[in-house]
Amino acid sequence: MDWAALRVSLWLGAGTIAILLPLGVWFGRLLAVREFKGKLLVEALITVPLVLPPTVLGFYLLVTFGARSPLGQAFEALVGHSLPFSFQGLLFASAIANVPFVVQPIQRGFEAIPADVRDAAASCGLTPWQRFARIELPLAWPGVLTAAVLTFAHTLGEFGVVLMVGGNLPSQTRTLSVAIYDRMQAFDDRSAGVMAATLLTISVVTLMTTTALSRRVNPHRA
Amino acid sequence: MSVRPFRHSCLALIAVSLLSLQDVPLAQRAPTVAAAANLNFALTEIAKQFERDRGMRVDVVFGSSGTLTRQIRDGAPFEMFLAADEEFPNQLTSAGLTRDAGVVYAIGRLVIFAPTGSPLMVDERLDGLSRLLRAGGVTRFAIANPDVAPYGRAAEAVLKKHGLWDAIRSRLVVGDTIAQAAQFSTTGNAVGGLIAHSLVKEPGVAERGRYALIPETDHDPLRQRMVLLKRATPVVEQFYAYMQGTAARTVLIRNGYQVPQ
Amino acid sequence: MRDPALSVSLRQSGPIPLDVEFTCHSGEVLAIFGPSGSGKTTVLRSIAGLYRPSHASIRSGAETWADTDTGTFVPPHRRAVGLVFQEYALFPHLTALGNVMTAIGHRPRAERRSRAEAMLNLVRLGPHASKRPRDLSGGERQRVALARALAREPAVLLLDEPFSAVDRSARRRLQNEIDSLRRTLDVPLVLVTHDFEDVVRLASHVLMLRHGRGVACGPISTLMSRPDLPWLREAVGLGSVFDATVTRVHGDRGLVELTFGGGMLLAPARNIVVNTVVRVRIPAREIVLATTAPAGLSLHNVLAGVVMAVHIDTAFEGVIVQLAVGTIVMLAEVTRDAIGRLGIGVGQRLHVLIKSVSIELQASDAKSATDISAV
Repeated sequence: MDWAALRVSLWLGAGTIAILLPLGVWFGRLLAVREFKGKLLVEALITVPLVLPPTVLGFYLLVTFGARSPLGQAFEALVGHSLPFSFQGLLFASAIANVPFVVQPIQRGFEAIPADVRDAAASCGLTPWQRFARIELPLAWPGVLTAAVLTFAHTLGEFGVVLMVGGNLPSQTRTLSVAIYDRMQAFDDRSAGVMAATLLTISVVTLMTTTALSRRVNPHRA
Repeated sequence: MSVRPFRHSCLALIAVSLLSLQDVPLAQRAPTVAAAANLNFALTEIAKQFERDRGMRVDVVFGSSGTLTRQIRDGAPFEMFLAADEEFPNQLTSAGLTRDAGVVYAIGRLVIFAPTGSPLMVDERLDGLSRLLRAGGVTRFAIANPDVAPYGRAAEAVLKKHGLWDAIRSRLVVGDTIAQAAQFSTTGNAVGGLIAHSLVKEPGVAERGRYALIPETDHDPLRQRMVLLKRATPVVEQFYAYMQGTAARTVLIRNGYQVPQ
Repeated sequence: MRDPALSVSLRQSGPIPLDVEFTCHSGEVLAIFGPSGSGKTTVLRSIAGLYRPSHASIRSGAETWADTDTGTFVPPHRRAVGLVFQEYALFPHLTALGNVMTAIGHRPRAERRSRAEAMLNLVRLGPHASKRPRDLSGGERQRVALARALAREPAVLLLDEPFSAVDRSARRRLQNEIDSLRRTLDVPLVLVTHDFEDVVRLASHVLMLRHGRGVACGPISTLMSRPDLPWLREAVGLGSVFDATVTRVHGDRGLVELTFGGGMLLAPARNIVVNTVVRVRIPAREIVLATTAPAGLSLHNVLAGVVMAVHIDTAFEGVIVQLAVGTIVMLAEVTRDAIGRLGIGVGQRLHVLIKSVSIELQASDAKSATDISAV
């Protein structure tokens, strides 16, 4: 069992959620509440990472931010290391790859709030921020929770991007999914098996916990 | 009140995000060395011995020589590169990424491998393969990717030399690395494959089937060169020297390599 | 001193056509009445600030809430409106108390809970304070919505089809509740409905909307007596609507004596006390006209009236005769043949015959909480 790899996987999942959830809430709500020109295009663009092979994403990240690119060299000068082959690089790639998993459930969550309820909140004297924090967000919370679960589970299973962008560096970019691959190549089936079972268990437990949680949060639906 | 757990989760997320942005401190991390996949067993053993003898640790990342070269060029933080050929390290040297041109540390050999229960008969002239191919019994045959793995390149050369390349091409399963090709060959997913001698020397693998050594003359010599990259730290410099020492060479020979004099 | 009148002027050609202008003073109940799709809810939402017509002028007392000429627009959360939505729009994740407390943000935190509890008690929902909307009946949710609107201490109370989602008996109770509330409220109350019963029971003034245009506006008794509104006739049935006072109760005969601007009426009723003010409605079809005083008839009421107008509309079979009975305008519907036979014309004196059982009564007083009509 590669504990460092497990740690990297969990941090990657948690870090991706931490970055994407606030953005997802802001953007998902925007899409749910407003109509604007080009909305269809925006929604399509958000869905793109779903259909794009992870290797394509990895490829473009390497080309754009690798040591041979001007952006990459600027980044390295600024921060001291390259963006690919670092945990930050993985986070960056993971964030992009998970955008549809975050935005769509949250958008649905906000869409499910009747327009009347939003209007009622305004008529009760709540400022736009109060409306959002006290009425809309609690009601859309199941959507937010779904987004978090999907993103976390998806990130744990990420392989293509991680391998391309991460470089399989121990303790840094070697996630559990990559470690399984690594152990298989070393003919260490036993380790690979243990780690695969661990990954499976984590995913199942995560899904169960959040389904239960969302049921507890949800029953006030009249 | 359903708002409170929600607030707690918000705070938890913020805490996690701040923590996840930090890296493992540099001082704690062992330096990373990139190595061709055929060194999977040999180098792991050498690195362990290095730690026992000198009290210093290096982390090894295995991959195909071509992929590792590409990654190094894209800024991967490896400090040393042990390739499966000379061409890939030379690319890095030309790009100005290495200390010097490096040295040849080992010479590798190809074997033809057939797992137990496979209809493939192994012999150094590939007669068995040829017969099976003619009889239509080759479902799948494994080699490494010739574009990125030097052992795959050698396998292609061997098959071409014996006039089998065109016939067997459609039956090939191509591993990303020679280790993956070995995986295919030994797990019954193929009737057999052309893989690295160093990978079948490991007892756990050897007992899975039978193999025959391919004559060196059937392909360009698998001269494996290693280089120190510009960013190499003292620990890795020592490792570089260790690789050329007696202890390391003994391990290499035991694992099926030849070592230069 | 607060001048609590609400004055509204809205104009827009599209996407929703609008052309209305009205003023509603405190203590008045303005019913905005019209068929579905006539723009009633849009008017209400404009007053609340949830909709912005291209031309609007909305003033509540001394405050200007919207004025497109000067570019003024006060957002909905800064207008002191109490809005009761058609589907109540309660916050599903909050209790009844929580819902009401949301509207009391303008008061200091320490007061909010007690005020909210008082509001719920006012609508008789005190014991249900900690229930969530999903555990409340339709009528109870309606009352929470009302309490929430009132908790805002609004300058204007707006009700959007408040009784449409409620069953008949609950509807009567709610109507009475709102009626008694508005007396204590002293703010303008604007009520949107497509149901004429609501208008009859609650309104003091009526604005009739058709395709977004205000086609008639005025006190209810005047409007109800306007036979020149054919769709009103179709939708509602014309009649006379006015207020009367109970002057005597003949318990033994099962009758009450009502005094109004046109004289005295006898109507059957129980459970009513003297000096109660009641709203009276007499459908035009229930009135019989006679040129000579009748005798030996079962009906109780014979009043003296003068013909003011005769409305013949080829779309309808009946003819509407508008009569002045004392200070009240009454409408009677008769056949064209009857007009000819009796020689009915303007200025003619006629006897107006009304069966007591045709008289519909509704208590307008806070004391009588139930419908007192025996019919």
